[in-house]
Amino acid sequence: MIGVGKIKQYSNVLDKPLGKGKQEVSLSAFAFLFSELVQYNQTQVDNIAELERRLEDAGYAVGARVLELLCHREKGNRRETRLLGILSFIHSTVWKVLFGKVADSLEKGTEHEDEYMISEKELLVNRFISIPKDMGAFNCGAFVAGVVRGVLDNAGFPAVVTAHFVPVDGQQRPRTTILIKFAEEVLQREARLG
Amino acid sequence: MIVCLAVVGHQNNPLYIQSFTEADDALKLHHIVHCSLDVVDERVNNPKKSGPTLNETFLGLLYPTENYKVYGYLTNTKVKFILVTTDLDVRDTDVRNFYRRFHAAYVDAVSNPFHVPGKKITSKSFAERVSTIVKSFGLSSSS
Repeated sequence: MIGVGKIKQYSNVLDKPLGKGKQEVSLSAFAFLFSELVQYNQTQVDNIAELERRLEDAGYAVGARVLELLCHREKGNRRETRLLGILSFIHSTVWKVLFGKVADSLEKGTEHEDEYMISEKELLVNRFISIPKDMGAFNCGAFVAGVVRGVLDNAGFPAVVTAHFVPVDGQQRPRTTILIKFAEEVLQREARLG
Repeated sequence: MIVCLAVVGHQNNPLYIQSFTEADDALKLHHIVHCSLDVVDERVNNPKKSGPTLNETFLGLLYPTENYKVYGYLTNTKVKFILVTTDLDVRDTDVRNFYRRFHAAYVDAVSNPFHVPGKKITSKSFAERVSTIVKSFGLSSSS
């Protein structure tokens, strides 16, 4: 779990409680690691689309493993076969394990049947990142989009997942939205299951 | 006594096959595992539509052959664990326990960053853990 690490100083080392150990990783450690990941990939590619794809692929591997781990740990004996089931699983359980809180909102797209959106006021991975103007619409949330795609793909719901900035009035930093567009077969299967 | 254990990926590709007895022909055991995959697919695609069993990971006894029993377990990523055993009086709870520990070992093996999903599991520690679990299964159910 990623969170802010708090250290309490004890005067005598023998007074320190024998804890189970923190279940959290320090936010700064993750931020440094993620910034290195972005920097490393930036030196290897020529254009923005390639950079986005690489971050997504990195997230995909994380997503696949997170799905296996969480299904074993949290869900016990149940498998997700319904669309809403897997979406609420991502929105609450996966987000809680990865970022320490549930996602801000889960919405169904109005224009198309197969679009869903998970939005977050500020993605944890983007907290210490500001995109230079000449990179246009690039969003480091592509990593999180990759995680979501990894989870969906391995659970049997192939989808195209992207991350977008959505400007909100009254707020300086725009909101981030993860847009999930399911493949045709998922919708057909969902319709068949009733 | 467990004679064979197999992990099969979601495209029915084998990820890990291990037989624990030298007496029987390994190829015959592989065939049994292969046939049981059809039974798994049939169970998954035609669910019995009875509420709680629809999404169960543990599939239970798939089919009994001449002197073997074959159990199945399906994870959330469509990865199947097939267990072939010669015991005639295996309790359901024992098998479920076994699968729980096996699933834990499998999750640890997959979390390895050097493991490519879809390729065979080559981790030695996974093999050791599995053989420990298999040994303790034999002891608990024979008592």
